[in-house]
Amino acid sequence: MNTLIAIGVLAVLVLIAEIINLRKMVIPMTVIGLLGILGYTVCNISVVEAYYNNMFVSTRFSNAFSSLFIALTIFIVALSNDFYKNEFTKIADYVSLKLFLLMGAICMVSFGNMAMFFLGLEILSITLYILCGADRKNIKSNESAMKYFLLGSFASGIVLFGIALIYGATGSFDIAQISNIAVSTSLPVWYALGATMIIIGMLFKVAAVPFHFWAPDVYQGAPTLTTTIMSTLVKVTAIATLYKISVNLLHQMPESYMNALIFITIITLTVGNIMAIRQDNMKRLLAYSGISHAGFMMMALTALGSASPNLFYYATAYSFAGMAAFTVLMAVCKNNEDELISSFDGLGKRNPLMAIVLSIALLSMGGIPVFAGFFGKFFLFSQAIQNGYITLVIFGVINSFISIYYYLKVIIRMFANYEETNREKLAVPALYSIIGTIAAAIIIVVGLFPSLLLNLFN
Amino acid sequence: MIDILFYILSTITLGSAALTLLSKNPIHSALWLVVSFFSLAGHYILLNSQFLGMVHIMVYSGAIMILMLFTIMLMNLNISNEVQKPFVTKLVATVAFCLMGLIILSVVMRGTEIYELQYTTHGKDFQSVQVLGQVLLNDYVLPFEMVAVLLLLAMIGAVLISKKDKTEKTA
Repeated sequence: MNTLIAIGVLAVLVLIAEIINLRKMVIPMTVIGLLGILGYTVCNISVVEAYYNNMFVSTRFSNAFSSLFIALTIFIVALSNDFYKNEFTKIADYVSLKLFLLMGAICMVSFGNMAMFFLGLEILSITLYILCGADRKNIKSNESAMKYFLLGSFASGIVLFGIALIYGATGSFDIAQISNIAVSTSLPVWYALGATMIIIGMLFKVAAVPFHFWAPDVYQGAPTLTTTIMSTLVKVTAIATLYKISVNLLHQMPESYMNALIFITIITLTVGNIMAIRQDNMKRLLAYSGISHAGFMMMALTALGSASPNLFYYATAYSFAGMAAFTVLMAVCKNNEDELISSFDGLGKRNPLMAIVLSIALLSMGGIPVFAGFFGKFFLFSQAIQNGYITLVIFGVINSFISIYYYLKVIIRMFANYEETNREKLAVPALYSIIGTIAAAIIIVVGLFPSLLLNLFN
Repeated sequence: MIDILFYILSTITLGSAALTLLSKNPIHSALWLVVSFFSLAGHYILLNSQFLGMVHIMVYSGAIMILMLFTIMLMNLNISNEVQKPFVTKLVATVAFCLMGLIILSVVMRGTEIYELQYTTHGKDFQSVQVLGQVLLNDYVLPFEMVAVLLLLAMIGAVLISKKDKTEKTA
């Protein structure tokens, strides 16, 4: 709870800093403040408590994910300095919006009441609609904001309808109470209907396959930093919320529910990966690979209750890899009209550090051992095997191979084709290099010592 | 007393709704809609839903009507010379309206059936603004504050999108 309040205060301080013309202070202040909040949250990770009539419940799960969100926001805010160089007058607005987005994300993993869940979802989505359309002179940015807004508000509506149906069946908004009622008494059929509607709304937010059509266009059109937020912070938030909702609400579901879920997971993996092969735009490639990673993370839904450490590990590995990849993307494509993969040609000579960071990120996403991504997949797969979902794991492994193919394609282009491309050095702002390096270092450290994260849940 | 009020309000509601449809000028029709919304709020208050009535006035008569008027004015729709619609469109519209009316009529006819409603009485009037305010600021204070955050960020977003770029001036 204190975490949430502190972030809110920080956001207001950022706005005040603009009033008294301290724009230069905004980013250092926010980063230091968030580091402090991160330290506080990690120290209090074992505090299990409910606040304000069960509106906000902090558990190990919610605290661990909140820490991850705060860490990701620190990276994003630090990147803002160079990204928004040309519109520095708006920096306070951008940073405070990101802090509000973080508040929404924290609400979504630590809600104890459906009202808080929905408000967190809305805070998160509305901030994103704004950030997508922030580049208002760019037609692609407008397109992305419009598409995301229309589809996202339908998804929110479906979630709200689901909440209403669950309220109708149980007479409560409190998630612990709903869970109790659903376990002990037999409920009308519209309870399962409501739960399914909420799940569908959340599947939209994670861009699982039948509901993924918005993702590539929106990712491509939005300003790159916003795409970074969407593919790291928001995706992880949505998955964590989906997991929490599933743990608490999925009682008395029809038996076919599990089959449907497994089917969705498999097509999410497959369609995401197969579409990614054909992309020539790096942002679209990362969008489709993000779809398939959502599929991997949805494997955690087959082992509700016991999968939270594994899910957390995978989410951390994926989001930092995404962060590193997008940092390099921003550094390489900052002056380009679009983000073609060809602009990475010969990066190994033009800027070796960036090339190595991107390689680490992509190899980790592909699941090459030593990097965190491998262990993330390994834990999720072995748990799924234990629970008897062999088909799911077979598809997962096949899709890992497919994904390695297109990740390696990018890496090869960076370290080959020296002759044909321009050989001029690529100057990268110092902050981009630092952040990319830190993110890559986190991927390796987390890969070498998985217990660092897994022990957070014991 | 309440009966008389109800009939007066209903007359205003139906009359202004009809005028909304019949007036040629879009702005007049929007204004008649405002009158209709206000009288609907009166109905809510007659039913002892004070909060709902107030929200109806603020949201519908305030926000949504302003939005509609702005749209009409900005898009310059206040020209009353309508384009003649093709015959098929009119026919389809009539049939659809008749079917819709049939459904509503059948629903209203069934409204005379008496349903067993098993509501337990709390002794508290949850429709009054006072009780609602207490619930909102005691039990639901955190969502209340989060709504404040939501409104604040929406405002910041509007400012962000409409702010002048520094580069625009130099270019």
